[in-house]
Amino acid sequence: MEKPVVITGMGLVGPIGQNINEFTSALKNGESGIGWLEKSSASSITVKIGAEIRDFSFKSGLLQYSPWDSQYGEGILQRAEQCAHRSPLTVQTSVLSALEAWQGARLHQGNISPYRFGLVIAGNNLNQQYPFDFYQKINQSPEYLNPRYALHYMDTDHLGTLSEIFEIRGEGFTLGGASASGNAGIYKAYQLIQWGVVDACMVVGGLTDLSPLELQAFYNLGAMGGKHFCNEPGKACRPFDKRHEGFIYGQAGGCLILESLESSKKRGVSSLAEILGGSLVLDGNRLPDPSEDGEVRAMESALSMSKVSADQVDYLNTHGTSSPLGDETEMRAVRRVFKDILPHVWINATKGLTGHCLCSAGVVECIATIIQMKEGFVHPNVNLENPIDSQCRWVGPASVQADIQIAMSNSFGFGGINSTIILKKGTEYR
Amino acid sequence: MTLEEVFQVVKKNIYDILPFLAGKEIVIESSLKDLGANSIDRMEIVTLSMESLNVKIPPNEFADVNDIKGLVNLLQEKVNG
Repeated sequence: MEKPVVITGMGLVGPIGQNINEFTSALKNGESGIGWLEKSSASSITVKIGAEIRDFSFKSGLLQYSPWDSQYGEGILQRAEQCAHRSPLTVQTSVLSALEAWQGARLHQGNISPYRFGLVIAGNNLNQQYPFDFYQKINQSPEYLNPRYALHYMDTDHLGTLSEIFEIRGEGFTLGGASASGNAGIYKAYQLIQWGVVDACMVVGGLTDLSPLELQAFYNLGAMGGKHFCNEPGKACRPFDKRHEGFIYGQAGGCLILESLESSKKRGVSSLAEILGGSLVLDGNRLPDPSEDGEVRAMESALSMSKVSADQVDYLNTHGTSSPLGDETEMRAVRRVFKDILPHVWINATKGLTGHCLCSAGVVECIATIIQMKEGFVHPNVNLENPIDSQCRWVGPASVQADIQIAMSNSFGFGGINSTIILKKGTEYR
Repeated sequence: MTLEEVFQVVKKNIYDILPFLAGKEIVIESSLKDLGANSIDRMEIVTLSMESLNVKIPPNEFADVNDIKGLVNLLQEKVNG
């Protein structure tokens, strides 16, 4: 199974950037996307703070890519508009991030067999806002319920839509792993390529569009922050700070193109990063509580698969949600894995800027990690005033230049789902 | 409502759902399928048109409708009936 797998394209539509360039500068400058929720349907609930995608337009998003020079490329753009112009936000952000990744990987020029191309949609229950919007209609005039609902309520709508637009004919599925979905999706796509099932695979981290129901339930469960800082949204998300008090919801759709090194070389495309390995382990627990042992096993088995020792890791992109129990559990697990070399590993939490993007978090944070490796910096932890651990090498309130060769990224989900991926800095193709 | 008025309502929904028809004329004799509407598009055009005209028609009554004219006729009959 020694088949190097690289990432050759990435795309993102999120609260701090609706493409990779915007996201890169937001990370460098430590711009936070967290503010007052503008979701009008949520006006009556307690939750008021979140990192929403603002001023989104699918139509203007599409115009970024037009025209693509080949007939093949133009066909993709036409299908993107036709297939998704009436789709919900979640699918539209998947489509736009996929177009950006496709272009970045230079796939719009063609030349990987569609039968050797896979598609993994990472996420479950992505579209909760969509049914919520129809509740009134189904009670008042069920005859006028839009028949599209039957397609769009399913997560597999992403799979169908993207495979039609990009003409993907290989193996494909949706993969649900709650907040670990993104990493789990990357790891499964990596395995598909390792096993020779496909030569390349698109991994989409689906935007998790929560309705007021889920937002309020997370709040009532005690998992959500924004209590003491209810009047200061910019301060509400503070992973690993002593005044953390729960996660803040974020919205993002992201996409990665994974490919065997062999395929990327054949096409003459540079790699953004290499995936050295990953893990997906359960800790036998249906509750939201994290497990230190499960997290240690996720990190250690990913390192072992990658043939990397903890002292080779330069940077850790934490799961770091700003939840007191979650942060403290992860901190204990990280101490057990890194031991005395912990003070040498750069640590930050991308959720401090993007909010918790739930199902897509792993993909968003993999993209953030690649950007930092490529550009040689680590992004700030903007609200980390009093860290819960004084020995870690936390990034402070501003970005710091850093040479990252090997990075680890964690994603943990409710229901005892733990996933870690290990990335190596990419190489330019010569 | 006149046939033409109902046709205008249907046409607006067709343009909304099939943006690639922008700038092209839609004649009442054409069929939605020929215009490039897939099965979901067709059902959506029917549902949105019923809603715009505030009429409720059971799906089985559309069984014999083969073109836009048939759809417009049926809608008009219900609107005026």
